[in-house]
Amino acid sequence: MGLLYVLSSFFGQAELYAQTAGESSGSLGRALDIFWNYTAFSSVNYKYLLMICVGLFFIYLAIRYNYEPLLLVPIGTGIIIGNIPIMEGFQIGIYEDGSVLNYLYFGVLKGIYPPLIFLGIGAMTDFSSLISNPRLMLLGAAAQIGVFGTFIGAMALGFEIHEAGAISIIGGADGPTAIFASSKLAPHLIGSIAIAAYSYMALVPVIQPPIMNLLVSKKERLIKMKPPRAVSKLEKILFPLIGLILTLFISPSALPLLGMLFFGNLLKESGVTNRLAETARTSLIDIITIVLGLTVGASTQAVRLLEDPVTGEMVNKGFLTSGSIKIFVLGAVSFAVATAGGLLFAKIMNLFLKEGNKVNPLIGAAGVSAVPDSARVVQHEGLKADPSNHLLMHAMAPNVSGVIGSAVAAGIMMSFLM
Amino acid sequence: MTFLINVENWEWSDIFTITLVGYSVVFLVLVLLIYVYKLMPVVLNYKKRKSVELGGAKMKGTEAHYVAGEVNAAIAMSLILYFNEQHDDESNVITIKRVARTYSPWSSKIYSVNNVLR
Repeated sequence: MGLLYVLSSFFGQAELYAQTAGESSGSLGRALDIFWNYTAFSSVNYKYLLMICVGLFFIYLAIRYNYEPLLLVPIGTGIIIGNIPIMEGFQIGIYEDGSVLNYLYFGVLKGIYPPLIFLGIGAMTDFSSLISNPRLMLLGAAAQIGVFGTFIGAMALGFEIHEAGAISIIGGADGPTAIFASSKLAPHLIGSIAIAAYSYMALVPVIQPPIMNLLVSKKERLIKMKPPRAVSKLEKILFPLIGLILTLFISPSALPLLGMLFFGNLLKESGVTNRLAETARTSLIDIITIVLGLTVGASTQAVRLLEDPVTGEMVNKGFLTSGSIKIFVLGAVSFAVATAGGLLFAKIMNLFLKEGNKVNPLIGAAGVSAVPDSARVVQHEGLKADPSNHLLMHAMAPNVSGVIGSAVAAGIMMSFLM
Repeated sequence: MTFLINVENWEWSDIFTITLVGYSVVFLVLVLLIYVYKLMPVVLNYKKRKSVELGGAKMKGTEAHYVAGEVNAAIAMSLILYFNEQHDDESNVITIKRVARTYSPWSSKIYSVNNVLR
């Protein structure tokens, strides 16, 4: 970069020299000067470079540690793309009308992609463990304390009420739901909220185990749960239909998310629409994940100077603001609160359950809806305490009910604030 | 449309109301689902029992058709092991297939440049 600066200075001098030598040489210098202004080097500053480092870090985490690679690689690449300083007016940037990235970003802004992701999740999720032991759904509900706790926290930190509502959904640990809610409540915060939600989802294996160690005793970790009963095909078909009608009658605002989730599951379980289910859980969700990840990443432009409608001054509405840092702090706290909420509720449940019916409190941590990562973490922690205690199938029940719970919570938040 | 709170001039009591009502509704939805899903197998088994009884036979409880998840897992595992073993039944005779080629002078050693007389 320094070399290019020197070259630019050199060409600047050459232009002066050329002016004396003749007009043809002068035009060469001017052309090089214009070219320099077109390049990203001419307007780069440390904020862009910092964001590019963040993007590279995401890619590193995905490749080196395998943390949610399907999300972090597109988002990380998107962050790099979004933070290449460009000259506006050429329909290139994500915020420029008519640019390719702008068209793709439309699906994020209007909340189109999250319901399609939910369709794919519904088509790939087996709800058998939840149907066989429905009481574990309570853990998914308990973990939603992260959402409502974050709402109070965001209000206390001075966010506007719609912004606080959008930020609160990070506590549900559900990326698509967080994007959907913020597209409706606070579209200008989509980038920060999505990055925070997906970052903490990717860091589930790092965040949750210390909280589990803190709140669950060695004796409680050894609790073995009854194996789930076999679930009939008819029950599996009725599950999405009942869930669809019941949840949406109570929380209609969650219709795009829960409607698609249960629709996807019906495609899977009906047994007569295998082609559609296959497409929804493979090609469709993959395409949407690529476009969503890339555009959300690209929306994190470090500097975005916009005119303040009140004062008329140019204000930075980009990603690197104190607001984004507050959102990241709130996200970390809400994730910890949601995990603790699930764990503590499982312990409370055990007070009322008979011996032999008790639940292993570790599965409470799966109440956050990071599917299936938090269930995997529970399985891993359970095996550490007792190598013969497999908790994965039990943890999947609160995990998928967390998805339903966070979508309901987002619906409620939208119905209160929109 | 009426809103629960005034979004411009809110008070902390409004925020706690949203929190409390919202959290309660999430619980309400999931508790309702729990009851419905708990009721579902009871209703389905009742219908099944009824049809068996109408056919003349008597069914003792729900255990008659109950297959534990562990049993299913064991059956599935044994099937996987069985099918995985299938491809190992080979003759273990390695053969080289001889390919007959028609004679062509273009690649013949007889016409090679190194084929000097001794």
